[in-house]
Amino acid sequence: MASRLSGWNLSAAAIALLLACTPSQSQSPVTDARAAPPSAYSATIYRDPYRSSGSVDLDRLGGFALITETRVVHLQKGDNWLRFEGVADGIEPESAIVTGLNDAIVEKNRDAAGLSPSALVAAAVGKTLVLARTNPKSGRVERVPGTILSDAEGGVIFRSDEGIEALRCSGSPETLTFEGTQGLRAHPTLSVRVRAQRELTSTATLSYLSHDFDWAADYTATLSQDGRSMDLGAWVTLANGNGTGFPEARTQVVAGRVNRESGEVEPLDIGGPIVAKCWPRGSTSDLPMQLQFALKSRELSLRAVTQTAAAPVAASLAEVMAGGRRVQQEQLGDLKLYRIQEPTTVASRQSKQVRLLDRSAVPVAAVYGIELGDDENPRNAAGALPASRYLRTVNTEANRLGIPLPSGHVQVFAIRQGQRLLEHESNLRDLAINEEVEIDLGPSPDVQVETTGTGHSHRVEISNARASPIQFELKLRLRDGARIVDANRKVDTKNGRPIFRLTLPPNTTALVRYETAGSP
Amino acid sequence: MKGGRQRIDFEGVSAQIRPETVTLAAADIAIVEQNFDFDLLTPAKLMEKAVGREVTIVRVNPATGAETREQAEVLATNGGVVLKIGQRIEVLRDDGLPVRVIFDKVPDNLRARPTLSVTIDSAHPGMRPASLSYLTPGLGWKADYVALYDEAAGKIDVQGWITLTNSSGTAYENAQTLLVAGSPTQVSSPGPTTWRQPSRRPALEQAGTESGSRERLGDFYLYPLPERTTIANLQTKQVGFLDVHGVAAEHGYEFRNHWLGTTDQPQSAKSIYRFSTSAHAGLGDQLPAGILRFYMRDKRGEPQFIGESRIDHTPMGSTLSLVTGDAFDVKVQAVVEKRTRVNEHDWKTDMRYELSNASPRPLTVTLLQDGLWGDSRIDTESQKSTRRSADTAEWNVSIPANGRTVLTAGFDTRF
Repeated sequence: MASRLSGWNLSAAAIALLLACTPSQSQSPVTDARAAPPSAYSATIYRDPYRSSGSVDLDRLGGFALITETRVVHLQKGDNWLRFEGVADGIEPESAIVTGLNDAIVEKNRDAAGLSPSALVAAAVGKTLVLARTNPKSGRVERVPGTILSDAEGGVIFRSDEGIEALRCSGSPETLTFEGTQGLRAHPTLSVRVRAQRELTSTATLSYLSHDFDWAADYTATLSQDGRSMDLGAWVTLANGNGTGFPEARTQVVAGRVNRESGEVEPLDIGGPIVAKCWPRGSTSDLPMQLQFALKSRELSLRAVTQTAAAPVAASLAEVMAGGRRVQQEQLGDLKLYRIQEPTTVASRQSKQVRLLDRSAVPVAAVYGIELGDDENPRNAAGALPASRYLRTVNTEANRLGIPLPSGHVQVFAIRQGQRLLEHESNLRDLAINEEVEIDLGPSPDVQVETTGTGHSHRVEISNARASPIQFELKLRLRDGARIVDANRKVDTKNGRPIFRLTLPPNTTALVRYETAGSP
Repeated sequence: MKGGRQRIDFEGVSAQIRPETVTLAAADIAIVEQNFDFDLLTPAKLMEKAVGREVTIVRVNPATGAETREQAEVLATNGGVVLKIGQRIEVLRDDGLPVRVIFDKVPDNLRARPTLSVTIDSAHPGMRPASLSYLTPGLGWKADYVALYDEAAGKIDVQGWITLTNSSGTAYENAQTLLVAGSPTQVSSPGPTTWRQPSRRPALEQAGTESGSRERLGDFYLYPLPERTTIANLQTKQVGFLDVHGVAAEHGYEFRNHWLGTTDQPQSAKSIYRFSTSAHAGLGDQLPAGILRFYMRDKRGEPQFIGESRIDHTPMGSTLSLVTGDAFDVKVQAVVEKRTRVNEHDWKTDMRYELSNASPRPLTVTLLQDGLWGDSRIDTESQKSTRRSADTAEWNVSIPANGRTVLTAGFDTRF
């Protein structure tokens, strides 16, 4: 795996390194500086560009965020290693921008080598440390100084005054104790080498893109009794799947699809335990091979489970912001930016909801419809099919809308006997002002469509079992080059396809007959 | 070095070194042979190499805690370790009780990391500088660009960063670093060679013809890092190489419809930013391949991300046109209105394109219809098109503020 990925790297570009033969000749000392914890945050959350609509999936947050942190830094004259600790774990280091340091940045670094047991051992190869061995009887701890000779392939080999031994192969309790963390950091850290002309204290801004965020709009439409209008409300649901929280952050979400380039190869260290692999441990009472294999694979799958559990999983700790906290929309280039007006805390592994809009008495039309495909498709001849029901309106001010509607998820409720009952759930795409809004209400068993016919003549029978008149649309998807030559009703065209629009009185049936001609 | 024939070990070379590419150069030496030992020092290997040799075993009595030491000969390590202690044969830790095994030495060519060793013949003893060079995978670099677009002025500020990544397993301390932009062909590189996603839309609109002052290596450009630096393992390092302010940039929209593309819902047009990399009116540099991230200031003046786009190695003087994403307010609905077969060889297709603009300013969309290969003609059209290529017709359609424009075209094709 590693060589394959790096093969890609190398073919994209090449690097020549000339290593110093003698250690640093003329380098000035570098001061270690730590940036203060952030004093202010800003988080702008973008949707998953490959999720067309629907709500946020807390287990797989495919969106991202632009995080901006304001931090106070104190620099000495000369070169400083300035560390920004506690950045989001989803940081994309190549997107980091540091401003406010008078442009004296020599280089930026992100070290992915995290603090883990195996990383500690790897960093200690060739170094002196202490092996602690506990006598099982007396409990007395014997501390043996020594050197790690190897940690190859997960086995640790150790040299002490007594000779050479393998760690934890004897069966008695043994462990290594380390001094210091060898520069390994537990928290994701970005470091910057800054050349300061003089000692100074300044406010630096660090901004970067981080994955493991997402947001969507969640609409609730409540239909009126007569079904001719609806009350539309919506929440912005945003989620942070990172292990890092952003207290009192200025929070924005951006609607519209932004381009993202993927396929980046970036070193990542997930850490690992000290495995302490030993020599073959077969005994005279060995298990049969098959059973051994079964035990091994069980062990493997167990380990896989533990690793998943350790990976960041979005917990569904939902928080609903009640009481007047709303978002305000503004234009950002060709995108829509929604700003939460007061700072809010975007905690780690949290989803949060803020009110997006509330519109009452939006006029809607309920329409039933079906789309029939190719003439000789046997599926269409297979008896009756339920028609779909849609709610339609146009996103205009006259219809009490006239605002950009970001994509998301719609729940449609109707009020019966004083109760709000869920009718259907569907998805909504990004809708600009003046666009037609169509909310799918699912199939309706009360309106059935039956098709019969042979060759080029077709019969479609529509039955209405409802106690009210309905609007019905029969859409046809004809094969390439085909057209309607005769029909018993008026044919219109919508989006280049033939459509029959009819009104069915209560408890009636209607018949549509049409003839097609054309190739082949 | 001593005089004469001797072996020199080089530790700390890249863990992914390609040993066949090693060159050692120093005064007054001759290379006898080069070896790359990749037999790693692990407990199992250590035991395997001890077959037929004596080891010390230490038993701890679980009841008393007392230690007893014995010498044992390792007879075999197949599946389990078989020991000969005095005249007895035992399987190591067969009873599950703790037994420590102490080895007195590490076999010669077992190492913690793969190690390169070179046998040389030195003409005379003494210290002299030597240089070792080799190729290694696991190191890579690309460019990352930050572009801040000023909508009112129609200008961008661009910063370029070189992003270096090291996953070779080794840290390079205090290294003088030189980056080569271009793709040197490697014949024998293991694994798949170049793999890139085919780009759907070319970013390079016009290839440049200007030369810069950067150093070249053959047809590649060199980007030396200004000073020595340490490249740690698993590190991502960025060093700036470009900082340009106030370059003119155009913002536009583009929509490409595929042949017979017809939709029930309007689709967003793409947001396009176009700028030059020439010396007099552009960025004034060659751009190594990488990702350009666009930012724009929001109403409060904070920069916000508005999308990113990949560019290839771009010569100076080129025109780049990059997609940042979909425009929320600018949509196009393409519909096949009518399609008739005139005779066996002729089809007539009537297309209707409805372009809508929900923003309060007028704008122009570049509408492209592709798939016009072969003997294809546009018979009728409501606005004059230009043929961008044999395959693609192009219309520049203006849409009024908060308005719509409908374009129709009739195509005469053989398919």
